[in-house]
Amino acid sequence: MVWFKKRQFFVFLIIAVLAAYSMRLTEFDLSKFQDFENMGDFLSKWFPMNTESLPFLFTESVLTISIAFLGSLFGLIIALPLSFLAARNTSGHRLIFAATRFYLSFLRSVPEFVFGLILLTTLGLGPFPAVIAIVLHNIGVLGKLISELIEAADKGPMEAMSAVGAKRWIGNLFAILPQIWPNVLSQFFYRFEVAIRTSLILGLIGGGGIGQQLFIHFKTFQYQLVSVDVLLIMIMVILVDYIGGKIREKVI
Amino acid sequence: MIKFENVSVLYPGTAEPALKDLSIHFNQGEFVCVLGKSGAGKSTFIRCINGLQPVSEGTVKWNDKSLSEMSPKENLEVRRKTGMIFQHFNLIPRMSVVQNILTGLFGYKKSYENLLGLFNSNERMSALEAIDQVELTVEPTRRVENLSGGQKQRVAIARALIQNPKVFLGDEPVASLDPGTAERIFHLLKETHLKRNLVSIINVHDVGLAKKFATRIIALKKGKLIFDGAPEKFDEKVYAETYNQ
Repeated sequence: MVWFKKRQFFVFLIIAVLAAYSMRLTEFDLSKFQDFENMGDFLSKWFPMNTESLPFLFTESVLTISIAFLGSLFGLIIALPLSFLAARNTSGHRLIFAATRFYLSFLRSVPEFVFGLILLTTLGLGPFPAVIAIVLHNIGVLGKLISELIEAADKGPMEAMSAVGAKRWIGNLFAILPQIWPNVLSQFFYRFEVAIRTSLILGLIGGGGIGQQLFIHFKTFQYQLVSVDVLLIMIMVILVDYIGGKIREKVI
Repeated sequence: MIKFENVSVLYPGTAEPALKDLSIHFNQGEFVCVLGKSGAGKSTFIRCINGLQPVSEGTVKWNDKSLSEMSPKENLEVRRKTGMIFQHFNLIPRMSVVQNILTGLFGYKKSYENLLGLFNSNERMSALEAIDQVELTVEPTRRVENLSGGQKQRVAIARALIQNPKVFLGDEPVASLDPGTAERIFHLLKETHLKRNLVSIINVHDVGLAKKFATRIIALKKGKLIFDGAPEKFDEKVYAETYNQ
């Protein structure tokens, strides 16, 4: 027991108690898998795939990617300057830091689905409210993540920029952004991937794209189209992950 | 040209000041090495010269004008005139050699020009000339993280040179380098110093280098000035006083 201390056993005990309590609340019961055959029956209805609507579903998938891409891109563009205000070492004033952090926390605490429902009342049905909902939530998430990267950046280049007489904001930008850029890209592509899944959910409230089709096909028991929807979604997520990885490799 | 008058620096949350009642002045053409143990106050001292570190008491004067009484514009002018190099080079990673050198001009240019990288042909030429002056034999477009320690410090010196400085500050610029490279960097610093008739003030751990290159040595101990004189007067007794408990 060289590696462990008494306090760690106590922490472990607390975690175990919390897990047991959560399992009770969520009716966690692996014995329920004995009805596994039902799932097999259900999945067998998904095949053969109905590829007749593939061109249309492909177009809907492109719409989903567009929603996710714009939602992540505009989120990043707005989050980037805000994250400098939300980082302790670059905000310039404690009040600015606190106000920006609070604003980002607020945006992060509201799920995209809720933003979508609220925006429907003004923007109506369609992909546009879905884009805005994703942008708003992404500002909160990316703003926080990037501000933490800024706080962890090496102070040396910032000091060098002060020493050459650069204006504070220019010095901070040039000293920090190149350091954190690969990680910013990682976060962006991760949020892009998440946005694809989010835009599926937003399809339930009329956000358009492959998510809306998936919802309609499920509701109308067209399981052979559901399988095509799921396949396209998987391809999209894998593609974004692959392209993101390649771009990051190039940047590093 | 640069004068410290009863300067003390106390960092927040510490009981002992990093600099204690320091009074000293430096003239054009002096090549000064600052010696002292780690924690003696050398870095604080160097940073007070260009205002990177504000003083708690006393004044630092440039041409008889106190840094604390200067307008932001005048403070900026002081920093522009001061080329500074650091132990860990403090280059901007993922940027090329020439891009890093051009950041030395940031204090001279408008924000939008810096942001968009609008440097005229003269400025770009100056960057290439600075590369020549520091005898850097790598491609100007090469990213700085791929360079050796000695090459990185040459880029940092070139960045300082493009500022057209009147004062050169070094915060242990050779502490991360092997002895041979350290000596070559010191040669380069001295050569540049003589060519441009600068005031050079450099922190260093290597007493041998200080005695070989400096025209004046100062030694700090626990924030106090304990020696100020010609290199030949920095004898074993002073050495013991500087480095022993």
